[in-house]
Amino acid sequence: MTAETIQAHPAGEHDDHEAIDHGQTGMPTALLGMLLFIASEVMFFGGLFATYFNARASVPAGAWGPPEGAHELDIALAGVLTAILLASSFTMQFGVWAIRRGDTGKLRMWTGITLVLGVLFLMGQLYDYSQLGFGVADGVFGTTFYTLTGFHGAHVFGGAVGLTIILARAMRGQFSRRNHVAVEAVSMYWHFVDVVWIAVFSTIYFLR
Amino acid sequence: MTDTAIGFALLGIVILVVLGVVFAIASRGGSGASRPAPPRGVHLPSPSFLPAVMSAAIALLGAGLAFRAEDQLANPWLAIPGLLLFAITAVAWVRAANREWRDVEHGSHDEPAH
Amino acid sequence: MATTTLEPQASAYRRSWVIDWLTTVDHKKIGILYIVNSFLFFFAAGILALVIRSELAVPGLQFVDQSTYNQAFTMHGTIMLFLFIIPALSGFGNYIVPLQLGAPDMAFPRINALSFWLLPLGGGLIFSGYLFGGAAAEGWTGYAPLTQQGGVGTDLWIIGLTLVGTASILGAVNFIATIFKMRAPGMTLFRMPIFVWTVLVTAVLILLATPVLAAGLIALFIDRNYGGSFFDPSVGGNPVLWQHIFWFFGHPEVYIVILPAMGVVSEILPVFSRKPLFGYRAFVFATIAIGLLSFSVWAHHMFTTGAVFLPFFSFMTALIAIPTGIKMFNWLATLWRGKLLLNTPMLFALGFLSMFLIGGISGVMLASPPIDFHMQDTYFVVAHLHYVFFGGSVFGVFAATYYWFPKMFGRKLNDRLGKVHFWMHFIGFNLAFFPMHQLGLSGMPRRVSDYSADTGWTILNFASTIGAFLIALSVIPFLINVIATFINGEPAGDDPWEGNTLEWATTSPPPPYNFDTLPPIHSERPLFFLTHGHGHSAERPSDLEETDEDDVERRDGIV
Repeated sequence: MTAETIQAHPAGEHDDHEAIDHGQTGMPTALLGMLLFIASEVMFFGGLFATYFNARASVPAGAWGPPEGAHELDIALAGVLTAILLASSFTMQFGVWAIRRGDTGKLRMWTGITLVLGVLFLMGQLYDYSQLGFGVADGVFGTTFYTLTGFHGAHVFGGAVGLTIILARAMRGQFSRRNHVAVEAVSMYWHFVDVVWIAVFSTIYFLR
Repeated sequence: MTDTAIGFALLGIVILVVLGVVFAIASRGGSGASRPAPPRGVHLPSPSFLPAVMSAAIALLGAGLAFRAEDQLANPWLAIPGLLLFAITAVAWVRAANREWRDVEHGSHDEPAH
Repeated sequence: MATTTLEPQASAYRRSWVIDWLTTVDHKKIGILYIVNSFLFFFAAGILALVIRSELAVPGLQFVDQSTYNQAFTMHGTIMLFLFIIPALSGFGNYIVPLQLGAPDMAFPRINALSFWLLPLGGGLIFSGYLFGGAAAEGWTGYAPLTQQGGVGTDLWIIGLTLVGTASILGAVNFIATIFKMRAPGMTLFRMPIFVWTVLVTAVLILLATPVLAAGLIALFIDRNYGGSFFDPSVGGNPVLWQHIFWFFGHPEVYIVILPAMGVVSEILPVFSRKPLFGYRAFVFATIAIGLLSFSVWAHHMFTTGAVFLPFFSFMTALIAIPTGIKMFNWLATLWRGKLLLNTPMLFALGFLSMFLIGGISGVMLASPPIDFHMQDTYFVVAHLHYVFFGGSVFGVFAATYYWFPKMFGRKLNDRLGKVHFWMHFIGFNLAFFPMHQLGLSGMPRRVSDYSADTGWTILNFASTIGAFLIALSVIPFLINVIATFINGEPAGDDPWEGNTLEWATTSPPPPYNFDTLPPIHSERPLFFLTHGHGHSAERPSDLEETDEDDVERRDGIV
């Protein structure tokens, strides 16, 4: 039994109380923990977005962008990265559905694909950085751009670590239809990372 | 530092020492007591060095960032050991959690505390 | 009464107590670690306060130079808020919340331990600035662009605070998960003790506000170390942005500081008035309202920047006074016609009520921009914040200490020494901080190391310094009390105060797994009904005495 399941009842006590959520029903505790952690991460990115918008609002219209002499933002590459990450959310979800059916083989496959896509995203992001021609110290656009995309990339890396762990565990057959909370948790985190990227992409590349 | 400041600092140290002695007396009394058995079904996770060590790793990493030279990202003498130690403790933590999860698996769909 | 029985079971080996405490994942031990660690930082920051007050007692720089003085008030504020008050209340939360819920531990015990250990390490990093050329000296609010000029002490402050903030966030996840997932059977949300409710709302505030501080601290670090331009106007940055980010966190932060203390007071007043908390539901909703509103008022710290829409923030700030006032009336109504027992925890709780009221009133005054434009950055604000932080939260911490000490250590603190502590503390506190209202009105700015003799501020400053030293002296009876009680204190049973909530339904201190058996839970005062029966309920354990009629009447409220 887990730590949260049993509370000793006085002898002879019949449980005619209202149904109480004490860990045996509803969302698994670890998954709730991941959800709460994600909420805090949303606020963290909120703070970073605030710096971006505040900086953008203080600059004259049309003057917001990479500094003189640097390349323009590569929206095509960013679009490809978006497609990769979006696809990886789908493949992750396929994996979750697979293990909910008890299909460990498919879980392994979809998790592996997701991980590959995630790594592709990271490599693509690093390539983009290498081509841009400006850095974090090159004015307020550079600072906010690299901070926002950089911390997002760090979170993708964290997610990739999580994917690696559940891939390894899946390959050792540790997940089943009834026991796969770690998969659900990592997939929730991965979707969050994708949603943040949509926001980052839309803000930096479309809203400008 | 002026004499007054030294005086206050000494007073502070004395207070700390006194509290340390109190702490030592108080906690020794506790750990010698017998260990009662929990009711059936209650599982408590076992003690672990990992939280304290991981905190130290994070602090090392942080110190590495704070004590950087002009052209560095971070001070390598502090940040690299910190990062390594963090990775080691993180791996150990995940493995310990896995082990506990497998040990207490009884068909419940819930994950144990870790 | 509780029927806990301990089955002695010899341990396989004797573990060294150092290893025991270093590796513990038991919420009770972790709670004690939090509290002891907090008090250590309290004394350190208190010494810094004495440095400040000594310097300000009379005109002229007698003891420290300006740089040292700036470090003193910066570290004083930072340590008091981040390393004393919040961890102390967190520590009580850690110890008491699982017990009050009837749970065997927190939801994530190892992460609980991680949250603790980050504190002394983070605090150590912050303090270590003193060893490396000077601690941070830009005020606990770390305004840009002044922070750009700081030395390594400022970087250590940033890093240390990030560590402490991370610890808080992890703790918040733990508390929320525990409260939602680990309540004993029968304990609906509206049967939880009030202290648990305040911890829950506080945890939500921590979860949502602290990450914004983390973002700001990281941005500041990038500005200072990697050539960033977030806040530096010379390269296109915006200093007011720092204030927005900081105070978006900073205002929920002050409710994080006060709400658990309000919870403590709400536990103590009913027990020592022998009456239920008046208006439990209203209190819960008021707490939630304060939590929600706390996110909408941050710019009242920035009225004078000229970058703030004054009417909105002034209105929202004044609005928070309403749920706070509701709580005040609930507490007063709880006391009204109660059978008051004026022991030390009760005195500190009553001290909280009166001192927090004063602080709240000065706060509402500051909510008005015309007043604030004159009072911003004067000692009026210093008076206000100390009346709410110190008169509020610190009184709450001491109330919690005296109230729950018997549960934690099996012995009651001596009440007479406690009263000596209280009165010295109360008188010293008011002597130290009440004059500051007048000093602010007379125009004395805050964060100044000196003032000239012809301002006329000397007498009030001198009085304030005497008060500060009286507070310091009041620590002596407290420490003597603690030490003497450890050595030879009066043993407390399971329930020395005739409490209402579940922590009193087990031994003092509780066994590692907390409860052998739990009483039935039909209300927010399960232990009261176990002891005194349900009046007309058919459920009455046969080995209890007849219900006391007086208890039934008193139980029904103030009519």
